[in-house]
Formats: sequence, C-alpha cells, structure tokens
Amino acid sequence: MPGPKFSTTMSPPFYRLQAPGGLPGSATFERDDTLGHYFKLRGRGSSSVPPHILSPQLPIELGIARDRRVRRGGGAGKEYMTFSASLLAESLAPTLELYAAIVRRPHLDEGEFEGARTLAQQELESLQDSPTQQLFEALSGQYFASPHGNSSYGTHDGLGAMTPATLRSGYERRFSPRGAVLSVAGGVSWESVKAIAEKLFADWQGAGTDLPKVSVHAEGQAHLEQATQQVQIGVAYEAVMPGAQGWYENALALGVLNGGMGARLFSEVREKRGLVYSVAAVSRAIRGFGYTLAYAGTTTERADETLSVLLGELRRLSEGVSEEELERARTGLLSKLVMQGESSGARASALARDIFLLGEPRTIDEIKAALTALSLDDVNSYLSKHYNPKFTVLTLGSKPLAKAALA
Amino acid sequence: MSLKFQETTLDNGLKIIGEHNPQAQSAAAGYFVNTGARDETSDVAGVSHFLEHMMFKGTARRTPEDINREFDELGANYNAYTSEERTVYYGAVLPERGEKLLDLLTDMMRPSLRQSDFDIEKNVILEEIAMYEDKPNFRVFEIGNERFYNGHPLGNSILGSTDSIKTLEREQMQAYFEKRYAPNNMLLTLAGNYDWDVVLNQVTGLTQDWQPSETTRTYPDLKSQDGVQSLNDKTLARVHTALFAPGVSAQDDLRYAAAILASCIGDSSGSRLYWSLIDKGLADSASLSHDSADGVGSFVGYVSSAPENFEKVLAIYKEVLLEVEENGLDSEEWARAQRKLATSLTLRGETPFGRLMSLGASYLYNKDYQSVQDVISAVFNTSLDEATKVLANKPFSKLYTLSMRPE
Repeated sequence: MPGPKFSTTMSPPFYRLQAPGGLPGSATFERDDTLGHYFKLRGRGSSSVPPHILSPQLPIELGIARDRRVRRGGGAGKEYMTFSASLLAESLAPTLELYAAIVRRPHLDEGEFEGARTLAQQELESLQDSPTQQLFEALSGQYFASPHGNSSYGTHDGLGAMTPATLRSGYERRFSPRGAVLSVAGGVSWESVKAIAEKLFADWQGAGTDLPKVSVHAEGQAHLEQATQQVQIGVAYEAVMPGAQGWYENALALGVLNGGMGARLFSEVREKRGLVYSVAAVSRAIRGFGYTLAYAGTTTERADETLSVLLGELRRLSEGVSEEELERARTGLLSKLVMQGESSGARASALARDIFLLGEPRTIDEIKAALTALSLDDVNSYLSKHYNPKFTVLTLGSKPLAKAALA
Repeated sequence: MSLKFQETTLDNGLKIIGEHNPQAQSAAAGYFVNTGARDETSDVAGVSHFLEHMMFKGTARRTPEDINREFDELGANYNAYTSEERTVYYGAVLPERGEKLLDLLTDMMRPSLRQSDFDIEKNVILEEIAMYEDKPNFRVFEIGNERFYNGHPLGNSILGSTDSIKTLEREQMQAYFEKRYAPNNMLLTLAGNYDWDVVLNQVTGLTQDWQPSETTRTYPDLKSQDGVQSLNDKTLARVHTALFAPGVSAQDDLRYAAAILASCIGDSSGSRLYWSLIDKGLADSASLSHDSADGVGSFVGYVSSAPENFEKVLAIYKEVLLEVEENGLDSEEWARAQRKLATSLTLRGETPFGRLMSLGASYLYNKDYQSVQDVISAVFNTSLDEATKVLANKPFSKLYTLSMRPE
C-alpha cells in the first residue's frame, strides 16, 4: 500500500467526528509497550509545527473530548494503536494537524521518558488489583504461541530495560503510512477531509514492519492462584477468520449464545442456575485470524459447576440452533447495526477496523444483506461442519478447579 | 433537528415526558422510579437493587423467560440500574417496535415476585457482591461513601451486604415494592422517534389499575465526616484512595459551576491533577468529579498510587485542591473546561438512548425540561464568579479521605 487509506461516512444530523489512525505497532512486535504508553501519555507534536500546536492542552482548547489511547485486551489492541477524538466539525482541520504532528513528529525527549516509564510500570502494578483484566492478559499469553499473546502492559523486566534510544528506534521502525488508516464519520464532507489529509499525510514515508503469523497452543487448562472472592474463568478457542466463509454464520451463532438476556449463556448459567452475575462470550478478530473469548465469574464453591455448564453450552452450539433462536440473534445484530450507525464515533471505529482487517470498509447495507441472506440451514450446516471448539481454559482464584473436558 | 418536548400526567399520577425527534433511527423508553438505596431502612439494605433484578422475573402475563426472550426478539438495547436515588428500566429499539417495547416495560413494572425466583436470584446478588469485593477501587468508595455521609441516607450501600441480602425475605421486598413503585413516584421517559398519541393511549390502558400512594423521601442535613482514614488489605498491590468533599445539590443553580470546577481540577486529561500527578508518573489515576444529588451534593475523587509514594501523592492532591480553594481558577482553564463539558454533552445527546438517560434523571430532580442546547448554553453562561461562590464554602477544607493500603 502506497500511503494511508482514507474513508468517510456522512450521518447528517450529527456534528461529531472520530479519527482513529490505526498504526501497526504495539504489543505484537515486542514484549513491551512502553512505546504505547509513551504515546498515551505524551504524544505532543514536534519542532516542525507552530508553537501553539505544541501546546499539550490544544486538544482541550479545541473542545475535543479526547480519547487518545492504546487499546488493550482483545484482538484489536494486539496489532495497532488507535488515536481517536470526538469533536465539533469546525475543529477538524486543526485537530488533524495536531494528530499528524503527534503521529509523524513526536517528541521522544529523554526528559519525558522517565515519567512515561514510571506510569507504564504503575499501570502494570495496578493490574494486580483487577483480577478480571489480569485473567484476560494471562489467557492471551496462554492461548497464543505467536507474539499476539504479549500483553500491551509489558513486563517489569522489559519496561526496566527500555531506554530513550530503544524507544526512538521502535518508533522509527513501526510508525509508517503502510497499513495506517484514518477514518472520519460525521457532518463533514469527503472533499474537505481528503484535502486536509492529503496536506498532512501525502508526503509521509516509511516502510513499516510486517505483521507476524498467528499461531496458537493446543488446548489446555491452567490456574493462577490468588486470594480473591470470586474465581475468574476465561476460555479461548479458534473461530472463523475475518472476512472468510462462515464469518456471518459464526456471528449469528454467537448471537444465539450471547445475544441478550434470553440467549443461551445468560439463560443457562445465570437465570436457571444462579451461578454467576457475569457470563459472556465475545468474538475477537486480528488480521487473518478469529477467535472467541468466554468469561464467567463465580464464588469458589460454584466454580466447577460453572465451568462445566459454560463449556457445555459453548460445545452444544455444534448441534445447531433453532429457528427462533436464529431469528432473535439476527434481529439483535440488525438492530444493533442501525443503532450503532446513529453514533458517528462507533461508525468511525467500524470503518477503520474493516479497512484494517478486511482491506476495505463495509456499508451498513452490505452487512445487513449478508446477515439477512443466511438461512437456518446455512447456519446449522456451518456449525455441524466447522464448529468444533478446542478450549484453552485459564482460571484465577484461591484454588484450582477440577480438570474439564477441553475438546 | 426539530425536537419537541411533550409531557402529561395520567389520572393515577404517572408522569410521562418525551423528547420527540422525527429524524432519529430509534426510539428509547424508560421507567424512572424515584427510589433507591437512600430510601431504604437498614433492615432491608440492598432491597432496591435486588428488586431491580426481580422485576425481570415475570409478571401475571409473562414468565421470566418470556421477558428476556421478548427483549431479544425486539432487538432491544436494554437493561436496568439502581443508584442511591433512582431505579431505571430502559430499552431502545427501532421505531416500529416501540409499541411492543412499551408493552413489555410497562408490564414489568407490576412483577410477580415469586419465592422460587427470589431464592435463585439471591445467589446472583451474592455473586455480584463478591465480584465487587474483588475490585478495591470500588470497595474504597463503598466504605468511604458511608463514612463521609455519616448517617445521611446517601451513605447507604446500593448492593447491601452479604448478611443483609441473606436475611432479606420476599415479603419485605413486596412491602417495599408496594410503597415505592406507586405511579405517582414514577416517571416514564421517551426519546427519539415515537408516536406520542399512540403511547398515551397505550400506557393509559396498561396502567389503569395502578394505585397511587403516599411516598416520601427524607432530606436530613448533611454533617459530613472529614479527616484522613485508612484500612489495610494485604492482598493489594496499590494504594486506592477515595476523596470526598461537600458540594452542591442537583437543584442548586451552582451545579454547573461545581461540575466545571471539578473538571478543571480533576478531569482525566489536561486537568491540574493530571499535570501534578499523572504527568509526573506519581499516580496512574487521579481524578475529581462533582456529583449533584437530590437535595445535597459532593465532590468525589480517586487516586491510585504505589505504596511507597502514597503520602507524597496524597499531599500533592490536597495541595492542588487547597490552592484552588484559596486562589481560584484562571479564565483560560475555565473556558477550556466549559468547551470540554459542552462537547461531551453534545456527544451524549447524539442517540435517543443517550438522551433518555439525562432527560429522565434531570426531570426527576427539577421537574422541568432542558434540551441539550439549553444545557450547553447554561454551561457556557456559567461564569468564574459562580465557581468563587462554590469555593466560598471552603469545601476542600472539609475533605475526607479513605485509603485502602497493602500494609
């Protein structure tokens, strides 16, 4: 790809805009993400832009509700960093100018390095006090054999060894227009976005780095011992690759499992048995690979039963779904699609994600048509032929659980 | 956008309000019940929240499974929440399903409260309490809030305790329901694309048997706790500190000033606390917001730090507060915070779903309608002089802090 891709969509009644520039980088490439933390904390423009742009307070000056962060957890944060903002349409040009400066000519001064490192170390420490998040960071490491299992929080050793020079070289190697995406949704015209973006990014050069190949470990079960009230249960298993045959079938099947309070997981684990407060299964995608993450939190004495009911429901999907279940899942997905379309922020994120994962954006009508076209036979035949989960299970709590059937 | 505000009161006392937006792609509806933890006596601590769960457990016309299934069939984005002062049941759907959504929500407001469902759901509540036990940043607020409010009912816990939930009986819940869920203590709120005449006709029919009753709420004076306290918990990695100071009520004209003031001091980015603590790498989280409640209000803050930095961090946090209390704010930071608040209000008002929440909550407090534009104008018309008035009460000299520490 010669340069960054641009896309825009119009949603007339609203004046919001979001611009996540997905940049390949982050935890996939190295064990530590000081780089990510650095940008979260201090991506502030550069010496080549006017002083007012250097002002760290500029985004606030413009009235931007700022959300400039590295996304963590799940698939997306494994492959790219996101810089996004929501703002009034008239602030588009100066905001993009600021973001271009942050991304292309960041200050990576020695003076600011220590503060950023300390913050990264503290966030890593804080993970200890959030058992659920800790579980998912560890589950990722247990599931992926490739660097996709790295936590974006990094490690104590890795953060300790980082220097301003390694930070600078990491930035130079990874930040490039190749694969970067700028997406904008809201009350601005394509022509104006394009003109601003060309001015700011057209001369951006750099080879970038390739994404590594995904590989996963065989099924397995492990436990992390920690004194908590609830046992945290996490499950990971492979699903359809984004954009591949079966992608929409899988989305509908997951809706049957997790679409709402009437869906299988909520109904079987919580409503009928009262085993948990939280239970869920979500679909995750990275480029060229899809997987499902499931979660339940429960007290120790109910943990074995919870795990067994949870895995039982995940497995039972291979036996197929009923017509009513399918229609409910379909209605849920279609209606969510329309409602998300009302929010320019959600729309901008979806566009950038599509371009990153699939190579091009999908319109809401395209997705609608694909979901509507599938029959019960389509979904059930996909499930019987291709849905055969092999589970990676990780639990965190005061004592290990009984071994469960994983395949 | 041509928005229209509509309101009426039915003969049984049920108030209905709506903000109609013919261009919206969805419709949202919610029952706002003017009851919460502050309206509980200690023998039924946690009943409001437990009851909120039970409201999904079936009616004379519907089984618990019916309720969950129907929500899913409508493709609804739905849920409920309980706060210290209100309990809200809400959903958003595509406009053509608005009538069905309203039938379901309205029917739910007259629940069966069956013993067998009560017994199963009690486990779910106990799991929810256990879940929060594992979140120190939540626990410190739970305990801190009770101590700061010092006998005022706003210090009541929403969840209740394991003991209060275990001993709670179905009959006590029934009695609480009958007293608090009278139509004259409820508000039905609508937002987005709905048909006002159809709604009135439908809801009048569905609620004709609902009986009004005497409902009261007490408003004692707040004699808040001040000073510094801490609790030890060996399992923690970080020190979690909750901070409280007296603020202004949701009925007070100074509430916007208090919110802007809190944002200048403790917004998540670009605020005084951000630059003093997070930017310096001393804390990974440091914030302050203002919470205006029915008849009373408070400033609420949080800071997370390493055990070895804890005293220094707390001292800086307090210095920041006292510096503002003594010398006020400058006009530039005030203007920035105004713009930031205005932007986030605009974004929240983007969808009917987002609009529903602020519409209902603000009507419960002030019995009047404010469009998003009205609120934004109010924010911009709030002068720095009003912040001076808020600070004249010396709120931060009455600060209360509670820290949970590993040693």
